[in-house]
Amino acid sequence: MERAGHLPGLDPAAIAWRETRFSAWGQSVDVALPVLSSAQAQALGNHVRSHAESHLRQLPVMQIVETIDRAIARLLDRDDPYRKRAEAILPILTGYDAQMVRLALTGYLKSFRKPQLLRFLTEDFGNPLLLDGFQPRPKGGLARAVPPGLLLHVWAGNVPGLPLWSLISGLLVKAGNIGKVASAEPLMAGWFAQLLAEIDPQLGECLAVTWWKGGEEAGEKPFLDQADTVIAYGGNASLEALRARLPVTTRFLPHGHKLAFGAVAASALDRRRAPVLARLAAQDVVRYEQQGCYSPQVIYVARGGRVAPRDFAGMIGQELAGLGRSYGRRALSLTERGALANWRHAAEMQGGEVIAGEDWAILYRDTPEPLWPSALNRTLRVVAVEGLDAVAALVAPSRAFLQTATVAADPEELLAIADNLAGAGVTRIAGFGQAGLPEAGWHHDGRFSLLDLVGFAEVDAAAEQAAETFARYVD
Amino acid sequence: MRQDDIIEAVLGFIDGRDESDEAFGQLALTIFAYQFANNLPYRRFCSARGRTPLTVRAWRDIPAVPISAFKDATLSCCPPEQASHVFMTSGTTRGVRGRSYHPNLRVWERSMLGHFRPRFMRGLERIRIGVLFPDEAALPNSSLAHYLALAKRECGTPDSRGFIGETGLDLEALIETLTEAEAGSEPYALLGASYSFVPVLDALEAGGRRFRLPDGSRILDTGGFKGQSRELQADEFYDALSRAFGVPRSACINMYGMTELSSQLYDDGNAVSPAVKSGPHWVRSRVVDPLTGQDLPPGETGVILHHDLAHFNCAAAILTEDAGVIVPGGFLLLGRADGADSRGCSVAVEEFLKAAQG
Repeated sequence: MERAGHLPGLDPAAIAWRETRFSAWGQSVDVALPVLSSAQAQALGNHVRSHAESHLRQLPVMQIVETIDRAIARLLDRDDPYRKRAEAILPILTGYDAQMVRLALTGYLKSFRKPQLLRFLTEDFGNPLLLDGFQPRPKGGLARAVPPGLLLHVWAGNVPGLPLWSLISGLLVKAGNIGKVASAEPLMAGWFAQLLAEIDPQLGECLAVTWWKGGEEAGEKPFLDQADTVIAYGGNASLEALRARLPVTTRFLPHGHKLAFGAVAASALDRRRAPVLARLAAQDVVRYEQQGCYSPQVIYVARGGRVAPRDFAGMIGQELAGLGRSYGRRALSLTERGALANWRHAAEMQGGEVIAGEDWAILYRDTPEPLWPSALNRTLRVVAVEGLDAVAALVAPSRAFLQTATVAADPEELLAIADNLAGAGVTRIAGFGQAGLPEAGWHHDGRFSLLDLVGFAEVDAAAEQAAETFARYVD
Repeated sequence: MRQDDIIEAVLGFIDGRDESDEAFGQLALTIFAYQFANNLPYRRFCSARGRTPLTVRAWRDIPAVPISAFKDATLSCCPPEQASHVFMTSGTTRGVRGRSYHPNLRVWERSMLGHFRPRFMRGLERIRIGVLFPDEAALPNSSLAHYLALAKRECGTPDSRGFIGETGLDLEALIETLTEAEAGSEPYALLGASYSFVPVLDALEAGGRRFRLPDGSRILDTGGFKGQSRELQADEFYDALSRAFGVPRSACINMYGMTELSSQLYDDGNAVSPAVKSGPHWVRSRVVDPLTGQDLPPGETGVILHHDLAHFNCAAAILTEDAGVIVPGGFLLLGRADGADSRGCSVAVEEFLKAAQG
């Protein structure tokens, strides 16, 4: 039995648990999810808030970086007990291929080592000492960052480890953190919190990981009422419902579902490079079965290269077939199979060509068409376009869902299309094969991971000067 | 074959007594050849999977069209403008309603009555009918409105009537009629959309009014609640019906129909829910894996596929978005299987469509 969460300050014997069983790959694991009473939720909020105030706020940011770095180092160490647990259990929870989970986890965790964390900090703050105290500002005067006393994270989805982004961000800015795990992957965030608590027990009192049934008012109300800032991931409907239940004074930072796509210029399509590119594209598709917000669902391919768009689609298909032999697709639920069949049928009805294998499908379209979701789970639409300059107009109507675009093009074209796509609403251009590995310090959905969490307190230049008149040393 | 020949063949099959797999298969293949020849989008769909009248030897290999396709393509063997009736789905996706074209309603009506009589009338020639649904004048493209009108006309007594008019539910008249029926000895039948019953139940409950309709009275509901009323669990719903009208749950029959078919399926009352559903001998219902299209063994949950020979003008084999399981005597409906449960952070079609509609 795995117990989800990390609940400092609560009497473990008094906590109610709700058990649920996960099965995949012929194995099962029982997970107990905490179900807190309203009083326990209140107590947890108070505990985390007051410890963050008295401990975390006093720590130099560099020390927090060191602690996180040590925790991440352990999660990267394949002999560490936490890492072993993650490798053994996450494939059962999520259904993802074990090998895929192992590789993706390493790729992902690497972006939270010390140098990367420093990059995060400088990217958003320039001078990270702003988190430790008042610093001089270019305009004159002084300023410091002030974190929310209690930052609530509402996580969604089943991409393992995703909660670490916002949790680490919250710690770096010294907020008290409470995170709510998704039922689909309830363990990783709790493990990370426990690991931090092992390394720095005091820090462990400044963050909590819990669960409540999404949308169930009794469970979530005490948390929503206590939080100063809420960062939430999910579909627009659940984000909207969440926002409606928040006090108007609470800062709300929503991250909705996204639709990522790729674009390949003619210059990238010669006989030598196209197969490599196809392999990278297939990797982006296979990684976590396209459940991530950055996973491409459509790839626009320019005509005029040595390899025609239809042939390139075929190459991606070959690579998907190859990857399928190494990394099996997770077992799909009936509704997912239904959705996949519907997608395929609709494609055939509309006269598109379907290139498919046992556990993947590509719909090839010979004429330009706007962005449209695939059925995920290794399904992709490949759309021929005359040139990359046509792509921005095709994706612009879906602005609210845009985030990552993977682009293969020569340097000049890259900058040109980057400009066009940024205008259409794209916030990240990635290389093929890297869609699922955003670099450290990236601006998720075009926003600031750290800066958005804090407020600023300023001392006017005039106040600083006026203080001089009261100095003991004044003449 | 020409349209008239197909119509005659289907009518003959409906009226006939041959319920063998062989007879069904033979006509199914004939209809497949007809639809392949005359329905271009369907032909394309079949060709894409290498299924043509030349390669398909067994009726189970005839490609089933997913109901979502009705929104993307015009599936009709006759030119759409020559259809005497076009039935449309009530739900819209992308602002588009699924359509079923009928060159005339001879087969549709024969199919409806041919199955309605044994499953709902149960030996009665006529019964006094009350309808809880707008009439055909109000909803000319609703297959359910036509179904109920046909039931009233062909199986109802002259004092049968509808209770939902231009101004909505006429509760007063309904209560008056039920009071009258209760006082008499002739059985009464109340038919309508499942969600139409909910405000009636609420009103009766609020007024503390209950009826005890004469023995042999019966209720037919169909279609579920579709967000038109509050959602009730099956047991809750049939208990409430039984309590309000004094009709045992075994006489509360649920009809399962869809615009994309030309026949209906029924259970034999809801003493226990979910109740086993089945169709007439010109419909075969299967439970398949949606991806492979292969039949699943009894007891295993899959997606329901109906092969309706009466649906000769469109595509006889229809892949629904309903989850179900084969059981002795028919199948159980287990809710929807439309892929709305995506768990990741990638936007799924449902949400995308919703946003696209504003």
